[in-house]
Amino acid sequence: MNVIEVKKLTKSFGELKAVNGLSLSIGEGELFGLLGPNGSGKTTTVKVLTGQLKPDSGQIKVLGTDVLKNPVSVRKVVGIMPEQENPPSFLTAEEYLHFVAKIRKIDVSDIDHWFSFLDFEDEKNVLCKDLSRGTRQKLMFAQTFLHEPKLAFIDEPLINLDPIIQRKVKDYLTDYVKNKKTIFFCTHVLEIAEEICTSIGILYKGKLIHEGPIKDLRKKRKSLEDFFLKLVREN
Amino acid sequence: MLLKAMIKEEWRIHSTLFGSFLFASFPVILLVFSFIGSLFIPVFLLIVPGRTMALMAHYIFVMFGVSVGAFGLFGREVMNRRFGQASLLAYSSRTLPVSERSIFLDFFIKDIIFYFILWILPITAGIGLALPLIQINFNAFLALLTLTLSFLLGLSATFFLSTIYAHSSRAFLAIFILILLVLATGFNLSLFSLPSLSLFYFPTAEKLYSNLVLIIVPSSLSLFFLKVEYPQKKRQFKNSLDPLSGSIGTKYSQFIAKDFLDLQRSEGGMGKIIFSFLFPLLILWFLLYIFLKFLPNANFLVSFSLFLGIISSSIYNWLTEFDLFSTYAFLPVKVSSVMKSKLISYAIINTISVAILLVATFFSGYLVFLLPAFLTFLTVSSYTLAITVYLTGLYPNVLLYNAKNFALYVLLITPVLLVMIFVSILNPFYLVLSPLILPVSFLIIRKSFKKWNSWEGPVF
Repeated sequence: MNVIEVKKLTKSFGELKAVNGLSLSIGEGELFGLLGPNGSGKTTTVKVLTGQLKPDSGQIKVLGTDVLKNPVSVRKVVGIMPEQENPPSFLTAEEYLHFVAKIRKIDVSDIDHWFSFLDFEDEKNVLCKDLSRGTRQKLMFAQTFLHEPKLAFIDEPLINLDPIIQRKVKDYLTDYVKNKKTIFFCTHVLEIAEEICTSIGILYKGKLIHEGPIKDLRKKRKSLEDFFLKLVREN
Repeated sequence: MLLKAMIKEEWRIHSTLFGSFLFASFPVILLVFSFIGSLFIPVFLLIVPGRTMALMAHYIFVMFGVSVGAFGLFGREVMNRRFGQASLLAYSSRTLPVSERSIFLDFFIKDIIFYFILWILPITAGIGLALPLIQINFNAFLALLTLTLSFLLGLSATFFLSTIYAHSSRAFLAIFILILLVLATGFNLSLFSLPSLSLFYFPTAEKLYSNLVLIIVPSSLSLFFLKVEYPQKKRQFKNSLDPLSGSIGTKYSQFIAKDFLDLQRSEGGMGKIIFSFLFPLLILWFLLYIFLKFLPNANFLVSFSLFLGIISSSIYNWLTEFDLFSTYAFLPVKVSSVMKSKLISYAIINTISVAILLVATFFSGYLVFLLPAFLTFLTVSSYTLAITVYLTGLYPNVLLYNAKNFALYVLLITPVLLVMIFVSILNPFYLVLSPLILPVSFLIIRKSFKKWNSWEGPVF
């Protein structure tokens, strides 16, 4: 069963075509990596797929729901970790997770687990504005998976994390998809994608120039980096 | 160099949202309104003496300066968060080899330049252009100078007081009480001694210098003592969101609780209420006191409640200052849900206005007019808010500078206010019928939800 179905998706900002005719299908239990250089349209794609931005044209179904018609219904069931957004400045880390839990109408009893898992228990009462960038990223990661969504969109989730937490998060993600859950993972860090993704898509100037399982590359004994650079040069 | 970049930045923040043309047209629209309004000056002169009108015009500009001058509360935090997550130069330039004080000075000058170009110049130019038509003779350039000085006097005084407040609320309170005592004892005698007004009537170099001294000294002292570096320690709080939202008990309680925590924990929280709300209301009180001497049929309390209603709608602007919708866009939340929560927060905070109205009733001795005054306040406050929400959604601080929005704002609000002023002069008790407008306000707010749900948020 496909959890994401996208057909001929286009999104422009003025003259710039950020997403250009994107078609994509992602199945259940996949850890799909959307790769691409800076400015290739990865973040815009996530925003359109989750109903945060309206596309110019195209069709999008996420978990069987038409995103254009029911964007809020989609955001109810998926988890989203944005690349840039920070938690509200004047709530503490703990308050923010409670805030999200109330919006998602879920039990708050499991929240403490996240502070110990991501190793920031000492900072749960600190105002979000006073948290380091890495801790804010941990907090945003926690809010994404708070309700154990069937599908999570995560945009550059590891970029500010230390190697110990990176390892924990990578293990968490690979375990997560084993339970028939799906992750849509945006990154430009090819080593991480190569390590944890089950399939990849390469976006370049808004166009999807490659899509397929990562094992195909392994079979051909090609490194993702060489493959990526060659593909981008050709396009 | 940094000042130039900040001016460009301010321009781009607004023009990104609604285009350069609509932003550039804002002062033109204001000029047109000012010109049209000035054509009615001869009518006002039949009621109010010219000297009193000049006095009121100058004090209105003082009030404007007072309402926007609380720079002392800004610190780094508000500078950075004025537009949500946007990283402004005032913050990001800290990495450059420039002192924080010098960055703040540029920020301060940039704001003054924008207020001058967007508000003071077009209003004065509108009056100046109307002068030949209404055949009233005074020097428009001198008026531009003295009105600007009035604005700067109000601004620098508030800057100074807010800086004291940022250091010690007790010291501020002591000074504030002292000011009130001075005003209470000799205000009537000293009204015309406002330095800028004095310069308007007797333009001499000495008077100009005294104005400049009264602007530059408090501003310089404020800049010198500015509390730019707020404590760097990590501020910690126990979970207050849950008990607070539990006590509110609505569908949007977590958002409302967040609004209150934002106001309470941000550096400018309570100070903002004092400087942007109570101070201008105090000046309004005295202006009405003078103006209504010439309109014996108008009731002081009802007139005050009408303006209180307009000023109270600015509470909505504070509530929307702390976050952009993008903070919630990745959660299952509609724009209208956040708007509804802000409106409930607005209603709760607006009880301060009701308390002010009760205090005003007590001091004015017009207890018998409390009911029409309260209903007038309720109607004006709701209607002004409804128009603000419809035109600007969650971004009143930015989108009201869209010339089209501003023109609509003035055109939709002014006629209603004029009718209410007229009715209040006929008989203040007729205004008990003013809540008949409330359904219109509710309808506009409902339409706003639909409008803003389909609006794509700004990207900085």
